[in-house]
Amino acid sequence: MEKKPAALVIGAGIAGIQAALDIANAGFPVYLVEKEPSIGGHMAQLDKTFPTLDCSACILTPRMVEVARNPNITLITLAEVTSVEGEAGNFKVRIRRRPRYVDETKCTACGDCAKECPVLVPNEFDMELGMRHATYIPFPQAVPNKYVIDKRGVAPCKDACPAHIDVQGYVTLIARGKIKEALALIYKSVPFPGVLGRVCPHPCEEACNRGQVDQPVSICLLKRFAADYVRERGLWEEVLEIIRKTHIPPRDGIPEKNSVGIVGAGPAGLSAAYFLALWGYKVTVYDALPVAGGMMAVGIPEYRLPRDVLNEEIERIKSLGVEIKLNTRVGPDGIPLEELRQKHDAVLLALGAHKGLKLNIPGEELEGVFPGVEFIRKANLGQPVKVGEKVVVIGGGNVAIDASRIARRLGAKKVTILYRRSRAEMPASPWEVADAEEEGVEIQFLVAPTRILGENGRVTGVECIRMQLGEPDASGRRRPIPIEGSEFVVEADTVIPAIGQAVEAEGLGIEVTRGGTLNFNPLTMETGIPGVFAAGDAATGPATVVEAIAQGKKAAMAIDLYLRGEKVEVPEPSWHVVSLEEVKSQFRSFPLDRRASPKPRHEVEKLPPEERISGFSEVELGFEEEKAIAEAERCLNCAVCCLCMECVRACQAKAINHSMPEQTFELEVGAIIVATGYDQFDARRKPELGYGRYPNVLSGLEFERLVSASGPTKGKVKINGKVPKEVVFIKCVGSRDKTVGHPYCSRVCCMYTAKQAHLIREKVPDAKVTVFYMDVRAFGKGFEEFYDRVREEGVVYRRGMVSEIYKRGDKLVVRAEDTLLGRPVEVEADLVVLATGLEPRSDSGKLAEILGIEKSEEGFFAEAQRELYPVESSRPGIFLAGCAQGPKDIPDAVAHAKAAAAAALVLLTKQTEGRR
Amino acid sequence: MSPIQTSEYIHELTLRECIQCGKCTGGCPVSLKTSLNIRRLIYESLISDTVSPESHEELWDCTTCKTCTLRCPKGVDPCGLIVTLRGALVESGRIPSTVRDALKSITVRGNPLNMPPQDRTLWTEGLDIKYILEEEAEVLFFPCCMGAYDPRVQKVARSLVKVFQEAGVDFGILGEDEICCAHEARRLGEKELFEGTVEQYQEIFSEVKAEKLVALSPHCFNAFKNEYGELPFQVLHYTQFLADLIKQGKLKPVREIPKKVTYHDPCYLGKQNKIFDEPRFVLQSIPGLELVEMERCREWSLCCEGGGGRMWAEGTNIEVRLSHERVREALETGAEILAVACPFCMAMLEDAVKTLGLEEKLKVLDIAELVAMSLG
Repeated sequence: MEKKPAALVIGAGIAGIQAALDIANAGFPVYLVEKEPSIGGHMAQLDKTFPTLDCSACILTPRMVEVARNPNITLITLAEVTSVEGEAGNFKVRIRRRPRYVDETKCTACGDCAKECPVLVPNEFDMELGMRHATYIPFPQAVPNKYVIDKRGVAPCKDACPAHIDVQGYVTLIARGKIKEALALIYKSVPFPGVLGRVCPHPCEEACNRGQVDQPVSICLLKRFAADYVRERGLWEEVLEIIRKTHIPPRDGIPEKNSVGIVGAGPAGLSAAYFLALWGYKVTVYDALPVAGGMMAVGIPEYRLPRDVLNEEIERIKSLGVEIKLNTRVGPDGIPLEELRQKHDAVLLALGAHKGLKLNIPGEELEGVFPGVEFIRKANLGQPVKVGEKVVVIGGGNVAIDASRIARRLGAKKVTILYRRSRAEMPASPWEVADAEEEGVEIQFLVAPTRILGENGRVTGVECIRMQLGEPDASGRRRPIPIEGSEFVVEADTVIPAIGQAVEAEGLGIEVTRGGTLNFNPLTMETGIPGVFAAGDAATGPATVVEAIAQGKKAAMAIDLYLRGEKVEVPEPSWHVVSLEEVKSQFRSFPLDRRASPKPRHEVEKLPPEERISGFSEVELGFEEEKAIAEAERCLNCAVCCLCMECVRACQAKAINHSMPEQTFELEVGAIIVATGYDQFDARRKPELGYGRYPNVLSGLEFERLVSASGPTKGKVKINGKVPKEVVFIKCVGSRDKTVGHPYCSRVCCMYTAKQAHLIREKVPDAKVTVFYMDVRAFGKGFEEFYDRVREEGVVYRRGMVSEIYKRGDKLVVRAEDTLLGRPVEVEADLVVLATGLEPRSDSGKLAEILGIEKSEEGFFAEAQRELYPVESSRPGIFLAGCAQGPKDIPDAVAHAKAAAAAALVLLTKQTEGRR
Repeated sequence: MSPIQTSEYIHELTLRECIQCGKCTGGCPVSLKTSLNIRRLIYESLISDTVSPESHEELWDCTTCKTCTLRCPKGVDPCGLIVTLRGALVESGRIPSTVRDALKSITVRGNPLNMPPQDRTLWTEGLDIKYILEEEAEVLFFPCCMGAYDPRVQKVARSLVKVFQEAGVDFGILGEDEICCAHEARRLGEKELFEGTVEQYQEIFSEVKAEKLVALSPHCFNAFKNEYGELPFQVLHYTQFLADLIKQGKLKPVREIPKKVTYHDPCYLGKQNKIFDEPRFVLQSIPGLELVEMERCREWSLCCEGGGGRMWAEGTNIEVRLSHERVREALETGAEILAVACPFCMAMLEDAVKTLGLEEKLKVLDIAELVAMSLG
């Protein structure tokens, strides 16, 4: 049998559903394309229909199910038409389909995913009167009855994090009290949450959109909270199970050659080891130092990072099967790299940068001069370091700050930092600088050392010169220029230069860059020697812990690809970062109101400075649980879905796929029906009516959701928990109004207002109900009778358009002229319902262009001729159905749709016959 | 006088579009207290060939706040009908004596206050201000007849000069060449006087090489901005100008004013010209100042009854005054200062505070005065 020509129906509200069913039932294939996750359109949102007062869902749902069951209908949700070529009988239509992130063939609509989803955002189907999860089904009767995940891109926190931790995810999990899950999610990207929660310079907080509203979410401390919580309660095994099961499961097909040797047990090396071990590789880590942790152990002072925190996190990595060989140097004076290369199938060089840079000024050889990194290393290893009473530290980075604060703790009376630029140019984190100053460290800006002075081989002071700032240099900071003749001497018995670190890169047989780092390809992490990779400070030069961790993970990914024999490439991801402007426009209500706690950032306590310098106790204290949860609730959920993977864990059908791609494809159809419906008028455009200002001024559709049994209040008419006793309806809002560009009558408001007034009388029998109207247009079968009925029920109709609404006490005041009395009146109300009119879809202009059809003056799609061709568009073969052509009530929309279906069928039938 | 033919104005004011919905009267601030019913006046025009304005004493109640016109869904100009009917009364001379005196004073003395023209610059005494027709300046400051003559508003004008000088603004005034902009005359129905004034000013302005005209009063601002045709400079209300100066860092209020302040939107600034945010921005830039809003703010603002020539026309039912209601609303917010940005609002509201005996509780101050107080 020959294939029959198909029809395309765009939009699956009641008109689109009707047209699709009629064509399908006539035996022709239909593609029904819907932008939203479910079909049903606005009719699905209505409580009761007019004039029969049937339950809208009850009469619509069977039709929706018919669509789902009809073998001739292919339903394509979350999809839009992007182009139409060809002509009547032979159109080629391109469709773009957004991913649902839930496999429709597997989802059973059990709802387990939504139950676990920690994200709450306003629910569009309930006109944002209620909330929904990021993983959701728009309404219980949705067709297809499949869940969908709402993703808006990548939150700026995740984007800014070098390791791309799912920040929004773990913050939101903390907000819901799911602390173990939060820590497991952090572990998806980094194996050192307790370390990072203390020492990370947190670029995520700088990027946080909340920072533009008030202050950023305290992300770093929340990470520390999750880590401390699990550590203190001994919950690691449970966390590990989540990591293994969901976040970093063992990989299939690990090759037989799977032994990896890693040089350097710092953040880069151990991170690589962590991922490789979890995937299923055998990993041995070598380190020259007597302790594991690299710079985390020997470069960061204990008062910022207690050793038990670090050691426990290292132990966890070891427990995955990673062997760490300490006191084992690789390279000159140790195991030759070649030997390691023989022993392992791949080698990662993550040596770090442990050599202090020299000042290159006279006197550096004097007794009492310690390079910063060596000074801190010795102090951290518990080796004897003697500081005098007057210590001078040279430099402006975090190492200089650390050295100065250690010196204070080791008993130095006076510690002075000399920095050659001004405070604004200091690379050290401002909070670290503040802590140091609190502890009595003095900083002299715009001062550079020219000579270290000594007597009898011992340091006695530093000769300095004052500087001034010139033009910006390559780093973008203003270049310091010495002021001639400004030399002076600072007395000192100890001098600690902390002006930078270098890699001990020589002698490994790897090419070394001009900057002294190992030469590597950042896209593949490979060095010049096959199978030898590089990562961390040794490859990039000195950087932060989180950058080293990110490097380690990239190296692990590269090594995995290499050992599998695949193309080695680990590019930085490119993605859409959600801006605050987008966050504000994602939903109608401003995010602070409904999406996040309005509280300012929570602070943590610190040890008092006197107590701090008496030892090496941790300075900053973490969040308590209650405070952490309150702080996490400040997250705006910028990307909506926070990628926490709780849905993945919950879904037994394994239907969820967070990396489902967008699809584009082409359809061949003979006829097209446009049934895209309408938008509700945005009453904020009539500011005097107070919509958007007063929560008890509702639009027509909002009222439908308020009275609906499946709505956010389960059908109870309550505003702020109270039953309204005085209710005012206002007609013609956004209709018959030139000032908003809608000169037309929206046709449905008179009767839906009558229906809604009736529903109020029914649900709140003692309520006083007033309708302000201009005309009552009751033109259909049973309409006038219904109008009579509601007046009979006691609804008062007053002729006059409302001019303004404002609040007096706890009542709304509705001001209008009762034109029949001929005098202005003020009516008090607890609830005002605006009969908001219908307007063309906001994207109807774009669609008209894509389809090549014309619009009429009001912006709805134009019919070919108003009296005799009411369903034909200006382009042959494209037909109009329902409110896309102009405002209609349900009976009219259905009739119009049936007419459009008939017109399309004429075309399709002719085509079929033509083929014969 | 003979009645006026409705055909003369019905088309121009698009009255036939009217669907008698009453949104105009419903929002009219004076309709609740007097017999003014603009919807009914339109109806009378629609069903009759002629109307007799002299039978409508309440025509002088209108403050031309324009709420009716702004909210009309059909684009009808009810406020224009009032002005038209007033015009017929002006033509026939059947107008209140106070209105007649004010109009005559504008014609003869160049101000509605019956003040001698040669006294126009007395307010500038001790201030070093350029005379712009002799010395070029970037900004032409227009103090309004109120700023020039009214002792209370003179303080506002002087404050503004102090603020300009502090911010290093290069400005000047027209001095004795300044005359009334005739904005209120036009609203009283004296169209010819207004048109004559426009012509006079076009000549004067052609010699002014300023980039901006900064008006003290929203009424003068509205006249120059919207009713004078094309002018050779940008027209700003002073609150817009100050907001810009603050944003550019040229003006920095530093002295704390630790007071609760509420702001009354003038109809000609807010409702009619949609300048809602700048005055608030200026107030909020004053350290220590806490801005609180009355329920009826911005688009909901209640008219003070000082516009539309009402300074010279008492209107009917003078026992009930909107300015009293407004002052009570201001008190309800807990504010200690009621900030204004219009000389008429200043006059009406300060008068109300005095009549109600609330001087101890509420001070009426112009935004310009508050900014001047906050300078270092």
